[in-house]
Amino acid sequence: MAKVKPNKSTKSVAKGSVTTPATEKKKRQLRLPVLFLFFVAVLLWSAWYYGSVFHLSREYSFWVADTRQLDFILSCSFGSLRYVGRALLMTYKYPWLGGLLMAFMLTLGTWLVGYCWRLKAKWRAIQYLPALAYMGTVTFYGLDIFFEAETGYIFGIPFLALLVLAICGIMIRSFSRKKVHVLFAIPADETQRDNLLQLAVCLIGFAAIIGYNEWKRPYVRVITQLASMEQKQDWEGIQKVARAHAYQSNRPMACMYAIALVHTDQVGYRMYDIRLDYDSLYIHGMDGTHNNASNMYIPEGDYHGGFPESCMHSCMEQMVMEGPKLRLMKLYIKSALMRGEWELCRKYLRILSDVPFEGAFCKKYSAMVGNDSLVNADPEIAKIRLTEPLHDSFESMYQAPLFMGYNLSLVEGRSVNALYNSLCVCLYTKLMPAFLSRLEPIMGSTPPDIIADGILLASTKSPGLENRFTGLNMRVPRIQNFMQQIQPYLSDRPGNAYELFGKYKGYYPYYYFFGNLKATKKGYTGQTTSNSGVN
Amino acid sequence: MKHSLYIIILGGLTFLLAACGKPAAQVPTQYSQLEEQVNIYPDYTDVVVPPNIAPLNFIVHDSLADAFVAQLQGNGVELLASAGKDGVIQMDMAEWKKLLAACKGADITVTVFAKRGEKWYSFKPYTLTVAEEPVDAFLSYRLIEPGYELYRQLGIYQRNLTNWDVHTIYENNREFDNKTNHCINCHNYRSNSSADMMFHVRSNHGGTVIVQNGKAHKVQMKDSTIITAGVYPSWHPTENLIAYSTNKTGQAFHVYHDEKIEVMDESSDLLLYDVNKNEVCHIMRTRDDLETFPCWAPDGKKLYYCNANVSSLLNPAFEDSTRTQQLMIQYDSIYYNMMSVTFDPKTRQFGEPQMEVEVASKRKSISVPRVSPDGRYVLYTQGDYGQFHIWHKSADLWVKDLQTDSCYILTEVNSKEAESFHSWSSNGRWMVFASRRMDGNYSRAFLAYFDKNGRAHKAFVIPQEDPEMNVLLLKSFNVPELTKDSVTISTADIAKCIYETEAENAKYIPNDATFRHQGPKADGVTGASPKRK
Repeated sequence: MAKVKPNKSTKSVAKGSVTTPATEKKKRQLRLPVLFLFFVAVLLWSAWYYGSVFHLSREYSFWVADTRQLDFILSCSFGSLRYVGRALLMTYKYPWLGGLLMAFMLTLGTWLVGYCWRLKAKWRAIQYLPALAYMGTVTFYGLDIFFEAETGYIFGIPFLALLVLAICGIMIRSFSRKKVHVLFAIPADETQRDNLLQLAVCLIGFAAIIGYNEWKRPYVRVITQLASMEQKQDWEGIQKVARAHAYQSNRPMACMYAIALVHTDQVGYRMYDIRLDYDSLYIHGMDGTHNNASNMYIPEGDYHGGFPESCMHSCMEQMVMEGPKLRLMKLYIKSALMRGEWELCRKYLRILSDVPFEGAFCKKYSAMVGNDSLVNADPEIAKIRLTEPLHDSFESMYQAPLFMGYNLSLVEGRSVNALYNSLCVCLYTKLMPAFLSRLEPIMGSTPPDIIADGILLASTKSPGLENRFTGLNMRVPRIQNFMQQIQPYLSDRPGNAYELFGKYKGYYPYYYFFGNLKATKKGYTGQTTSNSGVN
Repeated sequence: MKHSLYIIILGGLTFLLAACGKPAAQVPTQYSQLEEQVNIYPDYTDVVVPPNIAPLNFIVHDSLADAFVAQLQGNGVELLASAGKDGVIQMDMAEWKKLLAACKGADITVTVFAKRGEKWYSFKPYTLTVAEEPVDAFLSYRLIEPGYELYRQLGIYQRNLTNWDVHTIYENNREFDNKTNHCINCHNYRSNSSADMMFHVRSNHGGTVIVQNGKAHKVQMKDSTIITAGVYPSWHPTENLIAYSTNKTGQAFHVYHDEKIEVMDESSDLLLYDVNKNEVCHIMRTRDDLETFPCWAPDGKKLYYCNANVSSLLNPAFEDSTRTQQLMIQYDSIYYNMMSVTFDPKTRQFGEPQMEVEVASKRKSISVPRVSPDGRYVLYTQGDYGQFHIWHKSADLWVKDLQTDSCYILTEVNSKEAESFHSWSSNGRWMVFASRRMDGNYSRAFLAYFDKNGRAHKAFVIPQEDPEMNVLLLKSFNVPELTKDSVTISTADIAKCIYETEAENAKYIPNDATFRHQGPKADGVTGASPKRK
């Protein structure tokens, strides 16, 4: 039997202090169930605050019980750990379920640290550090926890730690018979001071983790929220979140926002409601070098831009490099449905049907297999069909990414949506000759606001252009006023861009002069560094 | 109380197991005959099978049924197998072998029974015909995703077709490492024997790995006159020579097309590599003719190959640097004919090119000629255009009967999807090829019987222990090659050769093959090279 030292209150009684049983009871009442509070905080962090990040990590992962299909990870180092980690990550289909599991594991691990290390009450605050360190590490890596990374480690590492601690705990309990506290109960040896110290450590830890995320990685939650909403086809939600973070600027966010605008016919009106200067993200490719995150939005951009073939191309390339991923498999299925590749859809749906919690997706899209009418009746697909190319060509004939490059060269479109998309891409890239050459079909009409502003801007060099459209007159004073007001700022456009954004948010002429200046010089994306060739 | 709980749990588990498990493998005593054909996956109905093939396990698709029994009968031998709701019929290896042995040269009748509700039904039976001639026991293939440009984990494997054994010949890195990542392709053997083997390694640790006498070494065929390196190989049947094409290959990705990928050669020539001397020379070196897919006749006195003349597609007003673009926009106007050139193994001299099959004038194109071991037939792929037919839905298998000089399509083995990269078994009675027919994307290896009358029979996918692996496997079977024996060199020894040795440069020997085709001009209308006398 381990010798238990008397706690401070017992000591004070021994020294003859004036502490009465009543005050001692009061002191005890002041003690908080820190471990329970820790559990609640971890739950809130992992489900509510960071849930979207873990949810998207799950979507960039793949797990089925059949080990043959996961041989590509099982045959690697720590294969079993990756396998178990991926399995647990599947619970993040529902962030609160995944969060509950994460919170339980981290809390249990914390409790076991205290037990296995035989921490005395005054040192018990230390038991929270491993879990906090894990959360801090996850926060530090941000998008890197799933982007071109092994997603099995997200849960695999805490699982392994928990396993080791559990084994240690069982051994300690078996051999030394050290007393075990009930999980969420307040240990009897803890004083109020010990209790407060633990609370302080937890509070500081959580504040540091969340503070760091808000300070250094503010885009992580936004991007993952937008990407999750894109899967749910929550176009209004995407717009709301993106506009709420209008000052943040990164390509995945811009792409998801543009997709939402395309689906709600708003691309000609609201594209410039968010900043489009593209700050550098902390994100790395599988070779460890800094990455432009294009893999996070090109498949989606191609699909929603009306290029299912190219979407399949980019999905397959990623899956070749990193193995199957739920998000890409789903995009692949939808693209294959658009192309009428029924057997291919059946194959992927069969594989997906073994993945936990994917029943709804499989049910929805299985019904469409072999049925063109159902495919075309799907609102998302119906909208995408409007911008599919009319004729074949090769991807390499266009600037990358294709959903931008193709629209820059569009000569014949399937609908007015295709034309508006093309005009908006021309304006986005500031290629005014390309923009002007595509205006003919809409002459005589009132164009969407952004296109109207583009026309007015172009008319400064092509006088009389604005007269070929209706409804532009009322916009003329604003652009004249704008041109006057920006004169002092033109000498240092990059330096003044951020400051002026708030004033001119949503206004295309602002973007034309001050927006996306880095990208204008560098182009849209970098080239892949991976080995490639004819396979 | 405690005991009761255990009994309940045990009872529940037993019930669950019974509910999920297979029924007893016995023919139902009472059943009704259905008029419908059984829907099985893969389709093994009415096929001719080798007498040494592994069990043709299959899945019965019948959503109304929750249990199945398959009865296979022939020459007095019976095999029974059962399946639960999943419909997966897996046969006992020993019983299957016994059945095949009893039915060699005869038919096996397969009857599938399905239990719908409480009643048993039997589908219309189908037949498996067991051929007299066995298939070569070993099938080598590459497993790779049907990818576009990128590659990562891939390997060459050898499957024993008489059972489920798979041997890894070589795999590249399982763990990603950009510095060591490499592609492996074009594995090839001499005369259906694994004794002589080769394959290419591209990118990091690149070279051509040649395995002879159980030892591997790596060579590099580089010269300023050689377009790239050796690409599509054919090992000479008697001499230690390998004919290669050398191709400058590019690919483009369709934006709105039934096909996904177009692989085109900007230029290609033919090479002859002497393994003993480590010397390489040109067989053909031309500017506007694209020669590719060499294949030796079994006597080693003739080399078949494919040839496209692209002079009519190239505008002389444009610079050479625009060649790729010019060909790319006319990709569907590139047509390959099958040609041959004689070869004297003693003098190592080639004759003049001869037209074997001219299809360019019909706006068709040929790839991958493969001569049967008896030298009578040339099996090839014909498609609407181009040469990388594995990505063309129009690609079908054809043969040329060299005795009658006639060509005909093998309708029985073809599908609406691509068939290509075929090879013969050593007895010439079996052919194996890659086909995308199962889902349009992932190629699988199919076997087909080719009888003495030159008629091909219905093709079937190589059997898997779990037939659903054909669905679940997210890799394609590439370049299936049959051999009589297994590869003996270890995976570790090949890896050692690739990682630890530098490729030895082959010595280039100039010869008169240079611009062999530059004489007579090609047909300006069809782009076809003229027939040589």
